[in-house]
Amino acid sequence: MKPYLSSVHLSWRLTLLAGGLSLSQGLTARPAETKTYAFPHARIQVTGKVLDENGNGIPGVNIQIKGSSRGVTTNANGEFQLPDAEPSARLIISFIGYKTQEITVGNQTSLRVQLVPEQSQLSEVVVVGYGTQERKNLIGSISKIDPSESKNIPTGSFDAQLQGKIPGVQISSNTGVPGETVNIRVRGATSINADNDPLYVVDGVFINNTSLQSIGTGGKATSPIADINPNDIESIEILKDAEATALYGSRGANGVILITTKRGKFDQKPRIHFNASTGWNKAPRLWDLTTGPEHAQLVNEWWINTGKDTPSLNRTEANRPFRPVSEGGRGLPQEQQTYDRLGELFRTARLQNYDLSLAGGTNDTRYYIGGSYTGQEAIIKPINFERASFKVNLDQKVNDNVQVGVSNILTRTYRNQARAGDGPQGGLLQAALHTPTYLSPYENGVLVGRAGFDNLTLLLENYDVHSISLRYIGNLYGEAELLPGLKFRTSFGIDYNGYDESEYWNNLLIAGSPAGLATSSQTQFSSLLNEQTLSYRKSLGKHGFGLLVGNTLQSDVLKRTYAEGRGFANNAFTQISSASTTAGSQSWSKSTLASFFAKADYNYAGKYLVNASLRADGSSRFGDDKKWGYFPSVGAAWRISQEEFLKGITALSDLKLRASYGITGNQNGIGNFAAQGLWTGGASYQGNPGIAPQQLGNPDLQWEKTQQWNVGLDAAFFGGRLSAEFNLYSKYTTNGLLQLTLPGTTGFSTYWSNAAEISNKGFELALQSVNIQTPELKWTTSLNLARNVNNIEKLETPLRYGSRDLILQQQGSPLYSFWVYNQLYVDPQTGNVVYEDVNKDGQITTADRQIRGSIWPKFFGGFTNNLTYKGFDLNLFFSFSYGNKVYNHNKFFGEGGGARDAARVIFASNNARWQKPGDITDVPRPDGVNVNNYRDGGSRWLEDGSFLRLRSLTVGYTFPKNWSKKVGLETLRLYAAGSNLWLWTKYTGLDPESSVSSDQNQQGIDLGTPPQPMGLQLGLNVSL
Amino acid sequence: MKIHTYLLTLMSVTALTSCEKFLDVKPRESISDAVTITDKTSAETAVRGVYSALAGSNYYGTNFQAIGYLSGDNVQWTGSQSIVQEFINHRVNADNSMVSGVWTAVYQTINRANNVIGKVNEVSDPTLTDALKKQYTGEAYFVRALAYFDLARIWGGVPIITQPTATPTDNRGIARSTQAETYAQVIKDLDAAEALLTNTVDRYRSTQKTVWALKARYYLYQKDWAQAETYATKLIGEVTNYSLIKPYSAFFANNVRGTQESIFEIFYNGTTEINAHRGQWQPQTNGGTRQWAPSDALVTLLNDASVSGNRNTLIGTDNQNRWYGNLYYRNPGSDPSYVLRIAEQYLIRAEARTQQNKLTQAASDLNAVRDRAGLAATTATTAEGLLLAIENERRLEFALEPHRWFDLVRTNRAGAVLGVTDAKRFVLPLPVDQLLVDKALVQNEGY
Repeated sequence: MKPYLSSVHLSWRLTLLAGGLSLSQGLTARPAETKTYAFPHARIQVTGKVLDENGNGIPGVNIQIKGSSRGVTTNANGEFQLPDAEPSARLIISFIGYKTQEITVGNQTSLRVQLVPEQSQLSEVVVVGYGTQERKNLIGSISKIDPSESKNIPTGSFDAQLQGKIPGVQISSNTGVPGETVNIRVRGATSINADNDPLYVVDGVFINNTSLQSIGTGGKATSPIADINPNDIESIEILKDAEATALYGSRGANGVILITTKRGKFDQKPRIHFNASTGWNKAPRLWDLTTGPEHAQLVNEWWINTGKDTPSLNRTEANRPFRPVSEGGRGLPQEQQTYDRLGELFRTARLQNYDLSLAGGTNDTRYYIGGSYTGQEAIIKPINFERASFKVNLDQKVNDNVQVGVSNILTRTYRNQARAGDGPQGGLLQAALHTPTYLSPYENGVLVGRAGFDNLTLLLENYDVHSISLRYIGNLYGEAELLPGLKFRTSFGIDYNGYDESEYWNNLLIAGSPAGLATSSQTQFSSLLNEQTLSYRKSLGKHGFGLLVGNTLQSDVLKRTYAEGRGFANNAFTQISSASTTAGSQSWSKSTLASFFAKADYNYAGKYLVNASLRADGSSRFGDDKKWGYFPSVGAAWRISQEEFLKGITALSDLKLRASYGITGNQNGIGNFAAQGLWTGGASYQGNPGIAPQQLGNPDLQWEKTQQWNVGLDAAFFGGRLSAEFNLYSKYTTNGLLQLTLPGTTGFSTYWSNAAEISNKGFELALQSVNIQTPELKWTTSLNLARNVNNIEKLETPLRYGSRDLILQQQGSPLYSFWVYNQLYVDPQTGNVVYEDVNKDGQITTADRQIRGSIWPKFFGGFTNNLTYKGFDLNLFFSFSYGNKVYNHNKFFGEGGGARDAARVIFASNNARWQKPGDITDVPRPDGVNVNNYRDGGSRWLEDGSFLRLRSLTVGYTFPKNWSKKVGLETLRLYAAGSNLWLWTKYTGLDPESSVSSDQNQQGIDLGTPPQPMGLQLGLNVSL
Repeated sequence: MKIHTYLLTLMSVTALTSCEKFLDVKPRESISDAVTITDKTSAETAVRGVYSALAGSNYYGTNFQAIGYLSGDNVQWTGSQSIVQEFINHRVNADNSMVSGVWTAVYQTINRANNVIGKVNEVSDPTLTDALKKQYTGEAYFVRALAYFDLARIWGGVPIITQPTATPTDNRGIARSTQAETYAQVIKDLDAAEALLTNTVDRYRSTQKTVWALKARYYLYQKDWAQAETYATKLIGEVTNYSLIKPYSAFFANNVRGTQESIFEIFYNGTTEINAHRGQWQPQTNGGTRQWAPSDALVTLLNDASVSGNRNTLIGTDNQNRWYGNLYYRNPGSDPSYVLRIAEQYLIRAEARTQQNKLTQAASDLNAVRDRAGLAATTATTAEGLLLAIENERRLEFALEPHRWFDLVRTNRAGAVLGVTDAKRFVLPLPVDQLLVDKALVQNEGY
């Protein structure tokens, strides 16, 4: 630290209100004596008052005479008395959270000193549940993110951009398609069947983050969060522990993401900001496939090997598939062509982004008006994402006590969609990956599909799947100060999402054969929210306390109308109205939530902070007597650095110990009518209505509850130059919402119950350092690191998920554990795989499957460096994950060893197969599929998913003010931003974050999704 | 202070209105299971619900049928799902998801039938006449009999459930009955159905005649040759209602349904009731995946007019000259699922008569089926020869229907024909997920 300290540059600003005199000085500059006062050496009595930025007296401020041990502190009103000071004496006035000031007494006997808040983390205002707080007064664990650093990462939605930014928050993108759902886990996962996603709150509105997509795109779904323009966001706060989330009680168990959008400022002249950028994205790498000859060779080997194993099959060298055409074969291996389909599918994708905003305010009014457009192609054709959005925020003071305001986000997103994931009909990667390289796209001059999948060229030319999301998120509030310190606020919020999807599969595609298929799905989600809060805040001497009570009512309705038509005269007719047969359906679902909450906090002299809160939530989803859940929390913090005994340690600028405990709940993700026993009306027969049992009721169904301990330590040194935050937490979830498996003999598969218990324990560490700070050069580094240990504490019956039951959830293991046959080696003599015979019964059966790792990393985090030098700025951001596993299911299919012959490409890695006795390899000899050598669920494809990723690299240059002013601009910055430029991983698939399904229980299975793109953007920021 | 008071009042009023009424939300697409079968309409619709379960994709829609024919030697697999290959290889694992799906679907059908059987007689709606009550419960008994019959031939003995499930604790923890006990439940239900149903023709729902047809098959499986002959004769004798229509394809081609061939077929209207079976069979040019295709051996047999006659209409070739099965072809999927056909009754009687050494009559039944396919009379003269001829006839007559595997098992010919010599493989494993969740269940030996 020493070299850095030598370049300490603390600037301070002093305003002497009494004299109306203002001084600006820096320590590195020579202190400027602006006046020489008369009366040297005579001692005088000085009285004074120290004020905060709002003109209120600050109690407990230290006033010390420089070079002596004499000093006083201010009283409850912020006043002090210094009986005998010399006029030449310099007073050091210090208070935590404010910049330390030095003044010369001079000839003044009455001083008024206004302290300027320190622009450090400590006094940073943090948005918390139903209010704001200064960081120094926080008890809970809350991370605040400035989204501007990451907004150039081409993911479509802001949440995906935050990977590696927040300690303890795991974010995986799963696919490189912009605007699709991401997995966000705040301190692990608490539930098997209820949602593990955090609650998103935009300007006080609880917004929907569950995809409204109804058409199948092979597992993945569009993200409703992508409807929010990242550029409209001022700040993002992530509430993590129970103290922070308890006010959101029922919704808080998985953390809360508070999004505050940009607003104008009172008394600020209008400012226009304009950002524009354009860029290119591409896949960093593609799968390495066998050539046509290699493929043919493997098929021949497989053929002959299976013939040796089972002579009755009559498969011999003589009748191998790839033998000379003259002998009735498909030609010798070396005669086969190689056709590149991946190159046809992937592309260099274009991206453009424009943001324009106007912000400002008068005495009584402040406003923010923004508009933006983003157009982004995916790296695989023909997927495309476009978003156009408007934003209007307005606040108006009605009089000194009353303020009203409104926040509005209106967005339209348009997507060209395609099946980038699993699924036969219209599956892009299937069309490209299932077709062996030796097969021509043509047969007799006609484009043909192979192996049950569409012809890729036809597919790309005829894909016609679109969705349009129209989203409005708005909030109208009124706020009145009824008495000094007593505030009432009421607000009405709306989250409306109209989601319009259409597909047209013409008769050249499998899904559309023989005469075309058109579908249309109209989904409407509306969430109405009403909220009242009454808050009171008061300081009495060293005692500060606050009180908050409130209630919210929320009602969510989801409606969908679906229509389809089949049989079109020709491909020119695409509307359902022209179809020969049509069908339609409709659905409706609703849930309501009523909540009451109260919170009280108290602090003594800013040193000892305690608070307690309670929230009661009633949910329509639960059993009649179980609707209400109660969610309390308590917290305390001790700002040790405020204690006298630490005052002397000047290097220590802050030290705070925090502890909290609370209970939060979860009900998201379960059916709206999960507790009710139901019969459906959809069991028709012969076209006549029929009814049938649908779901068994559970009148005891109730809230899933998570209790959480958090102990935290915040420390800052050298005036905030170095700061650290450490949290240790333990979460334990009981009454876990679970679709419990029922024996089939009941006639039902599952019913909703509270049956699981899950724990998450871990720590989070965040470090920030200002390494160098000179007027010209500033270098800051931040690092965050977290570890979460997840464990299923109670689960009566193990649950299997994913294709081939690759994931097993069982008591005593973490969620999302991989359940595999452990491949020990390939026998050098026989070329056969030897699997671990766990139960030693001499055969390999499902009883030999075992858990070998999970999706959970041992630790994960991010590492950022910011460097500014004169006008240049450089941002370098890495994210990392260590110790997590990925099942490379795509490679399993790609290493079929010839058994899938014409039905699948073979990966080049299969060339390393065993061929003759003595060969040492882990790839067995080609023979029958799924017998032993290519057994589904073999551990060979369970890979280490650890990675270190250069997530973003941005270089910018801001022109000097005098240059930009000449062209009429306030600021002008040009930048280049790279994303995912470098990736270190041992994973042999395209991207260790690939996951085929948006089902939370099927994470970590890579079935061939497009990787996260490597990209470059060029852009400019202008303000005037 | 006025505004203060006003706002506080507003707040507490809002709070009060937000109580239980606000939180009481009822679904619109479903009804509570507290009131289900209460009048004529609900009884009538609940019976349709029973057939709808039979039609489900895991039962007669696709997967149950698939177990029947994939396990034979008529079908090969071209796709990437190895769970299909397990049937063809006769190495079915207990975690095979098709096995699990079928188990659950059959019991779901049984539960729906149990609801009708248990509740319809309790209804006091004057318009729900005794005759209707008899019909509805009789139909439910038939479907339940079919369900236990299918369970017994796939898995052997299974838990017998005869009461509807009302709570999650019902109908679990019940040990498996023996295969004989399970078959006893089948005949008990068939007897009940026979007594309740009337002697009418309905090719899509069960009548007394449908019961007879299943009884004929039941007795064939039980090797009760005389009874099998008796019940088959009842159907065959109904010449005005049932006949071997010509040519072979006349019972399925050209979008026909409910032909004279059919004793019981499951109806799909193609819009709200989709039979997705075609997707597995049709080539991609017809919107399918052709994951399951006729085996080379079957293709050869079907294309040999001297053994198959005109039954090659069951298969076709796609634009890449690959053979595909064409029994399920309608788009959108409205192909019926064929459960009981008159041709089967002829072949049941032929086999029953051969076993009773009525060789001439047996040959005549066999020849009726051959004649319809455009073939000359059988050359078999001995009992042994006739049994083999019947076996081979059944292979082609029901080439893409779920008979071959069950036939070879019941005649103990699976070893000779398919090479499946381990008798433990004649039944499938109980799904592993069922064993995990219900400790009363014991796995079949050898799995």
